[in-house]
Amino acid sequence: MSKAKKVLDEAKEIGNPELDLMDKGISAFEEMPGLLNMINITRLTLSHNKLHTIPPSLANLTNLEILNFANNQIEELPTSLSSMPKLRILNLSINRLNSLPRGFGAFPALEVLDLTYNNLNESSLPGNFFMIETLRALYLGDNDFEFLPPEVGNLKNLQILVLRENDLIDIPKEIGELQRIREIHLQGNRLTMLPPELATLDMVSSKSVLKLENNPWVTPIADQLQIGVSHVLDYIRTETYRYLYNRHISSRGAPPPKTIDKSKKASRLPRRQQS
Amino acid sequence: MSSDVTDEGVAIPHTTPTERATTVTISSQFSPQMPGVTMSPLGAMFCSRCNEEFEPHEKIVNSNGELWHPQCFVCAQCFRPFPEGIFYEFEGRKYCEHDFQVLFAPCCGRCGEFVIGRVIKAMNANWHAKCFRCDMCDKELADLGFIRHQNRALCHECNTKAKAAGTGRYVCHKCHGLVDGKPLRFRGEVYHPYHFNCTACGTELDSNAREVRNRPGYSANDLNELYCLRCHDKMGIPICGACRRPIEERVVTALGKHWHVEHFVCAKCEKPFLGHRHYEKKGLAYCETHYHQLFGNLCFVCNQVIGGDVFTALNKAWCVHHFACSVCDQKMNQKTKFFEVDLKPVCKRCYEHFPSELRRRLRKAHELPAK
Repeated sequence: MSKAKKVLDEAKEIGNPELDLMDKGISAFEEMPGLLNMINITRLTLSHNKLHTIPPSLANLTNLEILNFANNQIEELPTSLSSMPKLRILNLSINRLNSLPRGFGAFPALEVLDLTYNNLNESSLPGNFFMIETLRALYLGDNDFEFLPPEVGNLKNLQILVLRENDLIDIPKEIGELQRIREIHLQGNRLTMLPPELATLDMVSSKSVLKLENNPWVTPIADQLQIGVSHVLDYIRTETYRYLYNRHISSRGAPPPKTIDKSKKASRLPRRQQS
Repeated sequence: MSSDVTDEGVAIPHTTPTERATTVTISSQFSPQMPGVTMSPLGAMFCSRCNEEFEPHEKIVNSNGELWHPQCFVCAQCFRPFPEGIFYEFEGRKYCEHDFQVLFAPCCGRCGEFVIGRVIKAMNANWHAKCFRCDMCDKELADLGFIRHQNRALCHECNTKAKAAGTGRYVCHKCHGLVDGKPLRFRGEVYHPYHFNCTACGTELDSNAREVRNRPGYSANDLNELYCLRCHDKMGIPICGACRRPIEERVVTALGKHWHVEHFVCAKCEKPFLGHRHYEKKGLAYCETHYHQLFGNLCFVCNQVIGGDVFTALNKAWCVHHFACSVCDQKMNQKTKFFEVDLKPVCKRCYEHFPSELRRRLRKAHELPAK
């Protein structure tokens, strides 16, 4: 009997609604017989396995609130996923997603979406991606975004936005509409300037985090960042900066070169080369 | 002696105010029917008014040895007989009560009536003794004496008060003197502190003395006692952490201090908790709403207000049973070592499962000087 099967049988026996199946060497759902009939489970954790697809019928587990596929080899998601009525936390970090399915933004209750370490960019997002109004944390670190769609401003409940180590050239001014934001991670991108609207958010309180390191900032921002994030925000509020920023927007030169070599990313490696 | 003359007069025992019409007079009437009267020769007697002789059997009025025809014994003003035989004499002339008062009696400055008997002359006017009263407390002043204060007649007490009010000072309820400096409040009045001694140690009190209610919760203050500040502090009466006044009713003990129930309030909205649950943070208390609003103690996993103990880390909070590795969902406790990735907790095992390329970059980022 496989390790996975043993866990499933145990869970069925005691009626445990939380299933832990991490690091079981699972490469396909077929190795977990009966899982898709366990209608009562509220959490399914499949971290550190070798899954590359998710069957559409997973969406039949309508009581699932937490679904964790961290560190698998998933390249594609079923459209049905976004119809799961109670799903609140979806972890797809460290996979091989090149795109998200159509209608992915239809989640009715999703609060935390972790897409860290995939191969996503602005063109791989479906049109309704920023319609997930319930979303409070969006993790997009270690992806390939060059631009953040202005629709990000629709995420009225967003508290955490992570874009660490993408290829971002610009941040849209709509970021200033995220009234509840308290964590923004922008380190390791190709940013030179920030929209002045960012300074309208309360990012200096003890509960706020704004990470800006490792970007090719224009000199005045770089200088202020040496002193502290609050000084950057004070500076980008000034008229002088507004003028500089508007000029930068209208006569944009060539973006700074990419600095991070992502060719070694595990998300890039073709499946057949894995052991 | 004339035995046909009988004294019927009545003594009128009042004195006029100025002693001007002072005569107490007896009026007499001749009664011819009276038997056994020795008649004196009428030829020797003359009426005091008209100087005529009296006819035999004519009535004679005798008043203090003077004799009158009855028709001559009348008021010098209205020429009518004196009602009930009562008359007043002034400068040798006799007047009925009414005319005497009209002509000579003073008017009361308060009620406007004539003043008969004792007249109080004061404040450039005349008064009945009963009408001359303190302008503030209405006490009769005739025997107490008075002080003129800004054209008002005041008793000594009220005068001190009025003077004190003018200077913004208090009047001691005991000695009625002005209180220099801070007064002592006791049982609803103000006093010179030095009139009292500490109930416990007997030392003379100063204005720092404290009034202690003997029956906490009762509003009557007649059992209150005074203590010097030292004895008061030793009695262990709790002091409110907000208003610094002693707490004599219900005491709330929280944040290492005592509070009046109505002074133990949310540091944000300042509404009293009144027994409702409060949350403490950095020596301040908050209501549930504002505590969570200010300190965001919503669990990162369940997004609910955290009821019991809280795990706080990485700019987030968790219910104790929701604090878990963000990669494998395995529960962690305060002793579990974890890595920080994008301000999420990652257990050691999961971190070791990360692609080595990612671990290298994360390590490098952590080695950068933190800003």
